[in-house]
Amino acid sequence: MEPTNIILWLLLIGTAFAAVSFYWARVATVANAGTTSWFSAGHSLSPWISALLLAGISVSSWFILGTATLISVDGFVHSYLLQAGVLLALPGILFFKRAWFIAQRYRVSSQAELFRLYYKSDVLVFVVLAVSMLFAIGFSSLQLRAISDLIAQVTGGQVSAFAAGSALTVLLFSYVVIGGMRAVGYLGVIQTVCLVSASVVLTILILVDAGLYDTINAKLFMLGQQEGGGQYFEIAGVIQFVPGLGRGAFYGHATTATTNFTSAYALLGIASGPVALKVILSTKSTRGIAAGQTWVLAAFFGALIVLFIAGIGAAGLTSDAHKVTPFLTGLARNSPWLAAWVILGLAAGMQAIAGLSLLVASETLTRHVWKPYFSSDLSRRQTVLLTRICVVILAVTSALLAFLAPITTSLIGAFALPASAQLAVPMLGLCWFGWMTRGAVIAGVAFGLLGAFVTDAAGVSFLSYLGLDVPWGRYPWTLHAAAWGLVANVVVTLLVSAVTQKVKQNKFKIQIREFIAQELVVHEVSGLKSYAWAAGLAWMFLAVGPGLIFGTYAFVVEDFWILGFPSLWGWAMLFWLLGVTFVWFLAYKMQMASHIDLDIHAFEPPATLKPETSAAESLRLRNTLITLMVLGAIFALTVWGFGDAG
Amino acid sequence: MTHQNISIESKLLVFAIWSGIGVIGLLLVLEGFSRDSYFLGVAGTFSVLVALIAHVIVNAVYSRGFSVGEVALGLSSFGILVFAFLMSMLLGAASMADFYIGVTFFGVIALGFATYLVTRYGLRGAFSRFHVGAVGKSPATNLSEK
Repeated sequence: MEPTNIILWLLLIGTAFAAVSFYWARVATVANAGTTSWFSAGHSLSPWISALLLAGISVSSWFILGTATLISVDGFVHSYLLQAGVLLALPGILFFKRAWFIAQRYRVSSQAELFRLYYKSDVLVFVVLAVSMLFAIGFSSLQLRAISDLIAQVTGGQVSAFAAGSALTVLLFSYVVIGGMRAVGYLGVIQTVCLVSASVVLTILILVDAGLYDTINAKLFMLGQQEGGGQYFEIAGVIQFVPGLGRGAFYGHATTATTNFTSAYALLGIASGPVALKVILSTKSTRGIAAGQTWVLAAFFGALIVLFIAGIGAAGLTSDAHKVTPFLTGLARNSPWLAAWVILGLAAGMQAIAGLSLLVASETLTRHVWKPYFSSDLSRRQTVLLTRICVVILAVTSALLAFLAPITTSLIGAFALPASAQLAVPMLGLCWFGWMTRGAVIAGVAFGLLGAFVTDAAGVSFLSYLGLDVPWGRYPWTLHAAAWGLVANVVVTLLVSAVTQKVKQNKFKIQIREFIAQELVVHEVSGLKSYAWAAGLAWMFLAVGPGLIFGTYAFVVEDFWILGFPSLWGWAMLFWLLGVTFVWFLAYKMQMASHIDLDIHAFEPPATLKPETSAAESLRLRNTLITLMVLGAIFALTVWGFGDAG
Repeated sequence: MTHQNISIESKLLVFAIWSGIGVIGLLLVLEGFSRDSYFLGVAGTFSVLVALIAHVIVNAVYSRGFSVGEVALGLSSFGILVFAFLMSMLLGAASMADFYIGVTFFGVIALGFATYLVTRYGLRGAFSRFHVGAVGKSPATNLSEK
């Protein structure tokens, strides 16, 4: 068939999807009743909506495309990706329930507000802003570019990537602007379902075309017998003390057990960051957290990844024709309706995370930075208007960046997860460890971000642009940037906490700790803590840690795969099952995420007169602009004097 | 939970069911027509039937019936598809496999809907759903159940 057919089907299915999007944006607007619940859906999203939305944004289309592509190129050495269902669920188990109760008590609806309340820290608010911007501009535009390129390829170039990306961007910001968080929630459900549906259809089509698992496994075995073929099925040792990617050779390949272990930390970034927290804090109860994290994310999406997506990757490893893009290009010729549906599902998955990221970044910018620091007299209506304008600006910026500066986009997008993972430490301080002091957490996050930045591609490239060629490359010693950052973060937090225990704490922190101790801890099971620690450490060690070395050979007898498929794949399936059990144990048996009925009395702040601040705010704005200009000038001079442009 | 929220959530579930399962069914039926594969046609029909059953379950859980809009969309889509199928048969553009797929698909959907009506309203009540009554009491507007 001609490429025209796929274009027609893309238009047909795309138009139907746009109609559905606008319908739900309208439903959301009516339910919002003006601007009163535009930001957080009036904290009334149903638990099942949040559970599906959280799973959709955690996985999104980057996982389907990225994981399948990575396996089809590198083989089964990225075991942490196969455990993603469990890894993505773990931070949610740790943080969501307690964060929801604290937010409900103090009537806050975002991570920035939680940190401002608990730590009294402007720095952490700016860090949250930076992370949400990384998601909105980098992480989302990376996916937008990938989907747009896919559309351009399957249509044989008749629809340009830019045109496809522009259409997707307009649809994206339209429904966010119209319906706010409620529209993001409602559409997130449909987008997640479309993503799952498309993934299943794509997997079945590829597997059937490739001859199902038996044929694929036979070809994988043949591949493993070829010279150099073993690298697809063997972890490259526990660790390699090499300068990093782009700085010299590796022994075998670059993916060690430590790479897997440390890359797993990056996955913690999604649920530890402001984007996922926004969903939880817009939900009306904690009823769905345990089920969402255990059964939807760890079990269902975990199965989808370890069985289906890995299957696509395996088929791609055995034949180039079964890699995602070439396969879809062929499918577009024979069955354009199915190809169009798969592409729409992937685009929907992208929109789920992109829409939420845009909303969170814009809200943080206007409600938590602009309004309190520069324009405190903004009304609710004006704040929503300003946020809507920000959503459009960020969406357009994100699209332009994706098409005009794709390398920068990929650098920024790749840094989003390591940066967001650094917020796990302040979240631990908020939810669990009251001894973490304000100064310690701020210092820890600062060092953590620095550590992650200078060991990630973004930082190495940025420093090189400034004329500073660091002697290491990306991920030195085969450790992911997220882990370099977290190590620095945790060490600094521990050290500074140790010496700042006597510093006076703010009253909200004291109240929150009392609230947690009196209302939440009593409902949790402390007798099983030692089992949880032991199970957690054992699982991490064996599923994504140094124990992966055993996984390489666990199901191999005399160079023969006793399961009929690669040992690492079998190892991943086994530990995915154990991982789901572990998540269930934490969520339900330890009651870390299970629902409890609490009658929470909202905190009522004492009535105070609002001081006149317009003069101070004007001065602050002027000083900020001057500071930014000076920093910009210093940056330009540095680049001109020492950098690549010099 | 407010009445508005219940209504929105049930609609959302219905949308999700048809987006996830129903559309795949229709695409598989189309694929069956395209490849003259009765197996694919039956798989698609099964998916659409599953979506229909799931829709009925959601209606039961939320204590609602098919809305006027849903009935209108369902019946008009069904009518258009039957018309297209009959035209392609009459013009000789369809194979025997296409014929069997069409008969299976439309037969199962019609039978499924009729079964739903009969089990829901009884034989006589099901007929009354479509029988034209007095002015101002259009049966279509009475489809929503208590």
